[in-house]
Amino acid sequence: MSYLFPKSANRLPLQIVIYLFVLGGIATAGVTYYMTPKYTRVGYSPVQPVPFSHALHAGQLGIDCRYCHSNVENSPHSNSPTAQTCMNCHSQVKANSPLLAVVRHSYETGEPVPWVWIHQTPDYVYFNHAIHVNRGVSCVECHGRVDQMDVVTHAKPLSMGFCLDCHRDPASHLRPRSEVTNLAWQAPSPQAQAAMGRQFVHDWNVRPPQSCSGCHR
Amino acid sequence: MKRKIEHPAPSARELAGPKYWRTLDELTETPGFKAKLEREFPDGASTLDGVDRRQFMKIMAASFALGGVGLAGCRRPEANILPFGKSVEGAIPGLPLYYATAMPLRRTALPLLAETHQGRPTKLEGNPGYAPLGGVSSLTAQASLLDLYDPDRATAHTADGARLDDAGVKDRLAAIGAKHAGNGGTGLAFLAETSSSPTRARLLGRLRARFPRATWTEYEPVSDEPALTASAAVLGGNFRPVYRFAKAKRIVSLDCDFLSAEAGSLYYAREFARGRRVASRDDGMNRLYAIESNLTLTGSMADHRLRLASGHLLAFASALAAQVTGDRSYTALADGLDVKPEWIAACAADLAANKGASLVIAGSHLPAEVHAIAHAINAALGNLGRTVEFIDAGPVAATSLTDLAAAIRAGSVQTLVILGGNPVYNAPADLDWASLQKSVGEVVRYSYYADETSALAGVQVAAAHYLESWGDGRTLDGTIVAIQPMIQPLFGGLTEIEVIARLAGETESDPYKLVYETIAGPAGADGAAVFRRFLHDGILANSAAAIVPVDFDSAGLARLIKGLAPVPAFSKANLEVRFVADHKVDDGRFANNGWLQECADPITKLAWDNAILISPRLAKEMGIDPKASALQIARKDEQTFEKGQEKAYMAVLTLGGRKITAPLHIQVGLSNYTIIVPLGYGRTMNGRICRDVGFDAYPLRTSGAMHFAGGGSLALTGERRTMADTQWHWSMEGRELVREANFSEYQENPGFTKEIGMESETPVYGPEGDAMTLAQRVSLEPRGNSLYQNPKYDGVHQWGMSIDLTTCIGCNACVVACQSENNIPIVGRDQVIRGRSMHWIRIDRYYSDGKIDAAAFGGEANQTLPEDPQISVQPIACMQCELAPCEMVCPVNATIHDEEGLNVMAYNRCVGTRYCANNCPYKVRRFNYFDWNLREIGSFYEGPVGPKGMPELVKMAKNPDVTVRMRGVMEKCTYCVQRIENGKIQWKVKMAQAGTPGEVVVPDGHIKTACQQVCPVEAIAFGNILDENSAVSRAKAQEKDYGLLAYLNTRPRTTYLGRLRNPNPAMPDYNEMPLSRIEHARKNEAQHAPKGQGENKG
Repeated sequence: MSYLFPKSANRLPLQIVIYLFVLGGIATAGVTYYMTPKYTRVGYSPVQPVPFSHALHAGQLGIDCRYCHSNVENSPHSNSPTAQTCMNCHSQVKANSPLLAVVRHSYETGEPVPWVWIHQTPDYVYFNHAIHVNRGVSCVECHGRVDQMDVVTHAKPLSMGFCLDCHRDPASHLRPRSEVTNLAWQAPSPQAQAAMGRQFVHDWNVRPPQSCSGCHR
Repeated sequence: MKRKIEHPAPSARELAGPKYWRTLDELTETPGFKAKLEREFPDGASTLDGVDRRQFMKIMAASFALGGVGLAGCRRPEANILPFGKSVEGAIPGLPLYYATAMPLRRTALPLLAETHQGRPTKLEGNPGYAPLGGVSSLTAQASLLDLYDPDRATAHTADGARLDDAGVKDRLAAIGAKHAGNGGTGLAFLAETSSSPTRARLLGRLRARFPRATWTEYEPVSDEPALTASAAVLGGNFRPVYRFAKAKRIVSLDCDFLSAEAGSLYYAREFARGRRVASRDDGMNRLYAIESNLTLTGSMADHRLRLASGHLLAFASALAAQVTGDRSYTALADGLDVKPEWIAACAADLAANKGASLVIAGSHLPAEVHAIAHAINAALGNLGRTVEFIDAGPVAATSLTDLAAAIRAGSVQTLVILGGNPVYNAPADLDWASLQKSVGEVVRYSYYADETSALAGVQVAAAHYLESWGDGRTLDGTIVAIQPMIQPLFGGLTEIEVIARLAGETESDPYKLVYETIAGPAGADGAAVFRRFLHDGILANSAAAIVPVDFDSAGLARLIKGLAPVPAFSKANLEVRFVADHKVDDGRFANNGWLQECADPITKLAWDNAILISPRLAKEMGIDPKASALQIARKDEQTFEKGQEKAYMAVLTLGGRKITAPLHIQVGLSNYTIIVPLGYGRTMNGRICRDVGFDAYPLRTSGAMHFAGGGSLALTGERRTMADTQWHWSMEGRELVREANFSEYQENPGFTKEIGMESETPVYGPEGDAMTLAQRVSLEPRGNSLYQNPKYDGVHQWGMSIDLTTCIGCNACVVACQSENNIPIVGRDQVIRGRSMHWIRIDRYYSDGKIDAAAFGGEANQTLPEDPQISVQPIACMQCELAPCEMVCPVNATIHDEEGLNVMAYNRCVGTRYCANNCPYKVRRFNYFDWNLREIGSFYEGPVGPKGMPELVKMAKNPDVTVRMRGVMEKCTYCVQRIENGKIQWKVKMAQAGTPGEVVVPDGHIKTACQQVCPVEAIAFGNILDENSAVSRAKAQEKDYGLLAYLNTRPRTTYLGRLRNPNPAMPDYNEMPLSRIEHARKNEAQHAPKGQGENKG
């Protein structure tokens, strides 16, 4: 009776084990990269109903963030401006631009402009804008250089690890309250940032929560 | 040195000894109950009905395969941000807005603050601007929010089944008015509920002017205010009493449940607690004598309680009056009263010793004679004008329902307008209202539900909820309060004042303008400012009714009670039947409210049901009392339990030839031959909550005997019904849970609670810890002897709670407030029976009778059911243990501590092992066995293809600050973590904007938990323990503070203040110690005997 399996089959168990390890490794690496917010969220820049350019308004014209996002200092939610806010200027400037037809329609009828939501956290995460901007965390920390974006892009991963990086080391990210909406601001040097950050942490009694209740309710 | 703390093994004597018992069957150690105690979850709680494992796997495999084909999970759904077109004044997306409003109920209104999120009311609180209530609110007020979002409410106006549009219904109303305007209203009749609205009263005047010959009838099936006949007879006018409980040191309740069933109950409960709260041994404490037929919340708070049929209250009142006044003429009425004369004499002497600071109050259901005698006693004691004051009620202008029925029978009513109410369901049975209503030519019905009465009406006008209405009302003391809409009427409902205005042919029928005219009109030129202030505050300043000085007229009393004869004794063949408004659904008006249906009755602990309550003695005579335990006479039949739940005997109750069939629930503490029949259930209207829940008792009620009647009899049918009885759930075996003492003992030894518990043997913090301050102790890194490492307690706040058991009345308001605040779902009757109710806070109710002891085991004391127990209630929610047993067993770290001492629950991390619930000694964790929020009651078992989704309307009641939990997730009380976090953030923002960002500690009182905020007796203190001046620190610093099961070294952050009772040593039923203490002392005699009573260990 002839052998059913060639001799090379003796190596099969080892080969299978190695194969499984390699496959597992590739799968793990793939999931880690492709399924985390770093990959799935960063770079998301959907087409908006109105081609609003932050680079123009916030960058070139220098309009403060809080002109439009007017409740960011008081509310958990940083509001998108109402059409009325846009019309404050655009009733004069480019009053007949076809690009602004959606905004004018909204202003006249009250129907909202359907802005596409970009920086969206899961429902079980209760991020609060007011506490961050009031305690020296700049918009730029989470949203990037919006003042340089023609189309708003998701710049940071906004994953739980991203939040915790800052909550564990607030000193590296705090700035004077007056510079919170100045996206271009930077400390003169990393050493200066560290020294200033430590001072703020001490003076303002900054103790960012690192336990579940800080964000999950 | 490592120290192992174990429960001392119970001695044989202890095992056989007395303990707390919560139900009659627990007392008698029935096997079904024992089996239940041994299980973590009640029988059936952890099994899936109707689906076996194999079938389950098949379905799941199929659904996975289907799910995989579509790969729906790989796309992130696009979401939109939708800002307003034009900015809305005051609206900040993400922040709630608060408006003052009020909830009208019968002749009073309760001032409230409504929390709205983007125009949608989600939570109601008491209006703190109204000083007599100080911001507390009630059970029904909390739950009334859900009625707004009830998908079963009337959603359209109809005429003969056809839909009427908005203009159509208004034309129709105007046409009715116009039709009758020519003949002065002949043949026109109105039937309405009572109301406190000044605007309605004003419009009523206009209505009468237009239709002078029309009749206006007001009808309420239950009464929460005494009839005015008593005050008219003996005080010389239509006066309504307002009691000042805070000033009363001695209180006698004549069958009056003033803590929950009266119109002024909320005010009375708060005032009563003010007179009862004891913070130090120098404080005074009031004393409550309750004489009652039912076991009520008031009776459960009483220091001396006497069971007496309601029919005999007149005799008792007379006997008491004879003692107090010394007037022999009363004694004739007291003939045959079966009460120890010493009881009455000692009670009367105690009252006489507190002249001007005592109070006698009679229940609203009692006849005018009893009220008149109560006034006489109060007058003799000098209480009138001190603890009892009167306001003018004005003339009675409405006719009675009986008169209206006679008019209909005589054929003199052609058009009947029914404003609210539900007479087909709740009118007295002898009127046969349904056929009367059918005989009227045109019936117009205005109501919130298309209910039993609507079914027999031609025109149905949908009503607006009070949260959708402009209106006004008056509180108990006559203060005018505003009712403002929080939201546009969801279904175009009309307000009552608009309907009346249209019928009256008023040119102005806009409810806002009608109210404006009422409030601003009298203010003249300042009207606009007054009205604006009125809406802002919710209260019209200085509008309380004037206190009327009264003089007692004894001749009037003599006329009133002349010719009355004492009521003979009751017996099994001649039962007294007493009808009571249900604690939750009231007269039936809240029957379709899921929060209220799921909430257990505070005394019977029945949810989703009502039952005829009978006394143990009557049960014994009927042969249905639970038999004694295995060690004694006979084993109780296993068939008595189904899924661990009581199977109640069904019986036919016959009264005056009318019959109803209902389950019997044996309730201790009732008068022997009085049976209690709660109203409000057995609705037949098409509501998904109320339909087929409980039985309807209205068919027994006649207009001659609306509240109680003799001559009832019961006959068993032989059938049984499983009751959703929540007192079986989450049983903690009898230990020193509620620690009680008499006030006199407390004065000698304020630290009595520390000597009762097992931790008096094993101090939780050890000798070093005992020397520390409270603030030092709570920031200790609590390692215990555990390998498990807790986070450091280094937050700037350390949260804690203190619950005062002396003032807690067990009213359940906290249960529903918590439900509303924390998006807690309802699970339905079937799931409650399985022990899956989801309430984060529950109120345990214990009975103790002090008679059972180890020596008597097997003797008579254990074989007969006690009839006079003392009642102890204890609210239990998560204790936020510093060394939490639940945390140590969670395999995924879903429940861990934060640095401020909260035991937090991360729902998105929970995988549903239920280990934590298993390891929780307090049994406060609740598991989502099904997607309660995704499926309607009744479709839980239908598998993946079953109907999913809740009506949009129901979703609107959710609090956006709290995660809605899904299936397979554990949940529990978090001290309202969303309020804590929001409070901290708002404080820090405020400080940062004020230029002092370093001030991060939130001042005491800024953050309130939902249960604390609602509590009518202010029994709950919550706050930061690190601040030694905070209310919670001061409460915890009291000597009578103790932790529940603290000997387990859990270090609970919620602690209790021991319960005090204040019995009178001169009374024949005086006990040296509370009955539970007597039982406890006997149980622990062996260990505690050498120490002796009253020894103070400091």
